[in-house]
Amino acid sequence: MDGLLAGIEQLALVKGLKASFVAYPIVNALHIMSIGALLTSVMLMDLRVIGAFRSLPQAAFVALLRRVAFCAFAGALVTGALLFSVRAREYAAMPVFLAKMGLIVLAGVNFLAFMRLCRAGGGEEPAGGGAVALAGLSLVLWMSVLFAGRFIGFL
Amino acid sequence: MQSPFNGIRSVTLAAAAILAAGTAAYAHHGWSWTEDGFFELKGRITAIYIGNPHATLDVDAEGEAWRVEMAPPSRTIAAGFTEEVAKVGDEVTAIGNRSLDEKEKRMKAVRIIVGGKTYDVYPDRVPPA
Repeated sequence: MDGLLAGIEQLALVKGLKASFVAYPIVNALHIMSIGALLTSVMLMDLRVIGAFRSLPQAAFVALLRRVAFCAFAGALVTGALLFSVRAREYAAMPVFLAKMGLIVLAGVNFLAFMRLCRAGGGEEPAGGGAVALAGLSLVLWMSVLFAGRFIGFL
Repeated sequence: MQSPFNGIRSVTLAAAAILAAGTAAYAHHGWSWTEDGFFELKGRITAIYIGNPHATLDVDAEGEAWRVEMAPPSRTIAAGFTEEVAKVGDEVTAIGNRSLDEKEKRMKAVRIIVGGKTYDVYPDRVPPA
């Protein structure tokens, strides 16, 4: 594992990013943009499922925001991997980084559980206590991911 | 639907614990985690990192492994401290501010002296001559 992480740090692209005064802040800014879009779309979806903005049709609202969330997550994944790569061994040893990764996995499992609930209900508009609980959990998990991520720079 | 709510509670607790731990051991960004008075560390370089998000030195000082944090790479290199001026095994003196946590072997350097040369990585914060 250590050898793999050290190998990542030695890639030409990664070494360029490590030394660049321009590319690194740009990647950093794109990561912030991605997580901003991701958190916003996730929160709006969760709040709609919980019962806010009832005047908006839930199926269309959630379908649009889910597309935004997937694109934002893909952007966060690519830019996050780049930020990680410059000091891969350092970050991989940080408890708060590992906590962030664990929280992302939990948020993913929570999403799959929600999709299962949708299918079980037969439609795209799950209602009731189960869906509300999973949406609430999603809110807490994604906000925890954000906070854990910010603390990587301070621990 | 008992379990999701237990999940919420435990995750909230975990997030609170992360926040509490964070405020106790502030590092990297800014100076809030360091002591006010100047601190001097002498030792031998065990690792050099000049790169984003900020440069660091690992220093062996009488058997203790210290992490010396420096400025972002643009500032560190502007101060003349590059990968060419120092190598692993060199004697180094780092002057700056150490962590408020006495158990933590970590400091933020404003001045690095290596090979008889002085590099002020934070020129506006160096001790008065």
